[in-house]
Amino acid sequence: MFSRLRVNVSHFFECFCEIVPPSSDKDAWIIQQFPENYKDEEVLKSVPKFAYPYTFENNVIQHYSFVLTDIESKWTFGFCRHDPKSQTALVVLSHLPWHQALYKFLDSISVLMHSPRANDLRDFLQAVYGQRIADPGKNFIVHFNNGESIFNVECPKQFQLPSIPENRNLTEYYNAIDTNNMIIIFASMLYERRIIFTSKKLTRLSACVQSANDVIYPMIWQHIFIPVLPMALMDYLLAPMPFLIGVPDEVLKKVNRCEIGDVVILDADTNKIETPFDDLNNLPTDVVTSLKKQLKNKSSLLGDGVSRAFLRALVQLIGGYRDALQFQPGEKVTFGADRFIETRPLSSQPFLREMLNLQIFQQFIEERLDMLNNGLGFSDEFEIEACRYSDKSSSKLKQQYKEWTSSMKKEGSAFFKSVKDKANPAMKSAVKTVKDGGKGMRSAYKELKMKLKDNQSPQQLRNGLEGLDKPRSAPNSPTGKRRSMGFGNPVASYRKEPQITKKMAFERQYSPLSSQPMSPDRSRSGSPPLMIPQIDLMNEMQDLLQLRLDTPPVDRSLKPVRSLENFKHSSPTSSPDRWIFPSRTGAPMASPQSHLFKSRAPDTQNLLQSPDDVFSSPPVPPRTHDLFGTAPFVVGGGRENGQPVFLIANQHTIDVVRLSPPSNSPSKKKSDESQDLIRLDSSSDIYEFDPLKSNSSLSSSSYLNSSDLLSKSLEDGHAPLSVSNPLYNYENHNIKQNGTPTERPKYNSKDKDLLEEYGIDFNMFDSFGNTTQKANPQGEWATFE
Amino acid sequence: MARDYDHLFKLLIIGDSGVGKSSLLLRFADNTFSGSYITTIGVDFKIRTVNLDGKRVKLQIWDTAGQERFRTITSTYYRGTHGVIVVYDVTNGESFANVKRWLHEIDQNCDVVNRVLVGNKNDEPERKVVLTEDASRFAETMGIQLFETSAKDNINVEEMFLSVTRLVLRSKQEMKERQQVTNTDTVNLRKSNKQTRKKCC
Repeated sequence: MFSRLRVNVSHFFECFCEIVPPSSDKDAWIIQQFPENYKDEEVLKSVPKFAYPYTFENNVIQHYSFVLTDIESKWTFGFCRHDPKSQTALVVLSHLPWHQALYKFLDSISVLMHSPRANDLRDFLQAVYGQRIADPGKNFIVHFNNGESIFNVECPKQFQLPSIPENRNLTEYYNAIDTNNMIIIFASMLYERRIIFTSKKLTRLSACVQSANDVIYPMIWQHIFIPVLPMALMDYLLAPMPFLIGVPDEVLKKVNRCEIGDVVILDADTNKIETPFDDLNNLPTDVVTSLKKQLKNKSSLLGDGVSRAFLRALVQLIGGYRDALQFQPGEKVTFGADRFIETRPLSSQPFLREMLNLQIFQQFIEERLDMLNNGLGFSDEFEIEACRYSDKSSSKLKQQYKEWTSSMKKEGSAFFKSVKDKANPAMKSAVKTVKDGGKGMRSAYKELKMKLKDNQSPQQLRNGLEGLDKPRSAPNSPTGKRRSMGFGNPVASYRKEPQITKKMAFERQYSPLSSQPMSPDRSRSGSPPLMIPQIDLMNEMQDLLQLRLDTPPVDRSLKPVRSLENFKHSSPTSSPDRWIFPSRTGAPMASPQSHLFKSRAPDTQNLLQSPDDVFSSPPVPPRTHDLFGTAPFVVGGGRENGQPVFLIANQHTIDVVRLSPPSNSPSKKKSDESQDLIRLDSSSDIYEFDPLKSNSSLSSSSYLNSSDLLSKSLEDGHAPLSVSNPLYNYENHNIKQNGTPTERPKYNSKDKDLLEEYGIDFNMFDSFGNTTQKANPQGEWATFE
Repeated sequence: MARDYDHLFKLLIIGDSGVGKSSLLLRFADNTFSGSYITTIGVDFKIRTVNLDGKRVKLQIWDTAGQERFRTITSTYYRGTHGVIVVYDVTNGESFANVKRWLHEIDQNCDVVNRVLVGNKNDEPERKVVLTEDASRFAETMGIQLFETSAKDNINVEEMFLSVTRLVLRSKQEMKERQQVTNTDTVNLRKSNKQTRKKCC
């Protein structure tokens, strides 16, 4: 109802299409599709336009995504793969925004199509289409080819913040756009402007648009959203309503700029913004200051640092909606807009008053109210951050909500029941997700326990745990020009003669990528035949690794990059043994690869301090029991223009992740900054969020029972860790009262000081009386000649 | 670039899906050959140029998908438009309730928007549930015009579009006059510059 994603999605993908490019006398068209009975004519008519949004030279493998919006404003994602060796483009339509998984799916399709076993494509598609989607955080595993081959991708967890480098979209956005401009775009979105992103590269274009929406979480862009706008639809830039549209450079050139009117334009290639508005300066200064501060601390930005920084800004802005909830016994929970404004610091009030007029904010409130009124506690990353930010409001809220709930129950369970019955499927699935979250939690703690046994030093342990508490994204799959190397280029020694598939009635001129026929016996021996080109990846990587030889020695003062741990453990099931290179007999790639890599001992979980450390430790091969490979891994590092650069390999590609060094400020200041973050993050709040201490309240939330099991594992107290897991609901945020009253005050006052230090203490603001007057809103309205 | 019009107006059509917005637009549009994208990118528009009081007025009418999900449609949505056509289905009470809420919202937060109220599907009296009296009483309290139309039978459609165009044109001229008055009174160059900068070239 509120999200623009569909719920109860039953297929991993809705439709696969192969598209022939446009020629002089003909538009692009679909040469084949699966399933054949996919009937949405309007969608099928537009897919070719989005697969070839303009005439372009295709020199490298490109992945990008486009979005279709249906009449109910729900999104369907189109994932597109262009390959210079293929005359056609591959498109998969899915209701799931799982970029990494679906790009991987496209790669798998491509590998299969260009292999001698192209005839098995149908079976493969059928198998994937027919398989029930795995629960969040689990692996979606499809057996095909009579059970002899496996397609395996990880389903992203719910509520997980996008992180770098696992999330390719955000990584791309972060690499292309500096943080100041990201903040300007963020501000423009908070004013619901008409916003254009442009780039010469479709990969970058779609990734940036998607990420811009991701970073306004928990809000969702409610207006026109077209990550890639085809030439044929360029007139839609004239729309007078708010929009967020990715316009390929070629298309934007054709547009008469002055016809578009007032619009924010971000050029993602040059990192330049044109805007007629002053939205950034109209945001409350304390929010912008602390956002900038967090984004300046480069070393904390790997992982979900970028997402979390923006999330915290939104918590500062709208987390206080909780103070404005009104609980009237016998009535639904409502939101008091005036109360919301009045309880905010004076300096923020003008902006927040405007915020009430935002569709994205209204929808956010509606969604939260709906969940509360359906008796569903909820706890996502936003609520957790909000609790961190202000425990006062959360305890009060909890109390009110509890009273309200019980009065509702007393007054007539009928009401409650009827509401529940009416709860839309999204709600049901939300409950389910929370349950699943519980499971994920359990495995996370299991992992944690294992680490304890591993006899690590406390320092290592802490870092390991920090890694754990960060939500992790699904591993990536290839995308993009900038990083497509390796798999895309078949190496001569492995290449078979091109096979021409007559079946398609369209003469293909691909050179098959597949190096070896997929013979049944090889599959039976347990080796994944299609992994072979990985060797090419490794060979090509050597060139990249040369980079390091030309670069100065690393600056050891660089802060430890704790988040790198994230992709070392990039899957919830990851455990040290996953990284051992499996020695399988008959695996064709085993021997060449072992020249390059020694197998990794299970206990070498050492910290990555800098690119050079990455380099000096043997690269970690990805697990190979999965046909197409999933996990990204660090293969090297170096310096580019004096900035540390990590090379992170996915199965087919290599990401270059730039980590700018901490800003030029003295190192003391740096450490202060990061310490602050950690304190905010990790010190005092553990008991507030720890469901394990909340036995008293557990009874009211049946789906939390699983956490009982976990309590013992944490009983020995790792207080300095923050556990951000969506498992927690309101009940659990506020256990502190009966939980552990002893330590809290101390931490609390520290936090208060800290907040004050950063000017985010509300009381302090209340005492100043200065309001910034906003510009006359009338000025933004359509004017007449 | 030579313009083929004297005025360009961008209008919005709002209402639940199913009230017949697309049919109204089709009736109204210059040509019906241009495809509809409301089901693929969630937004659609139709163009028509009309002659009004000797002026060529080019109208773009924009529609977006899934508006019924909004309890309120906030002012940012209307920010760039000259007028709003608010449509309900006379055979569907809920669509009328939504429209009432949205109009109240416009009234409170977006005072410069011209608007008309349209009850579509007014072709099967036996199925009508939103009575004309109720609708016109409501329209009166909001100070707007009511049209009951049928896109299917092409009843009252043309009148409605012309009327909203006239409304927008008039308010544009009024604003211009008011501006001139302000200009002669105060000679506020800065303001007039700003106004001209904003207009479309």
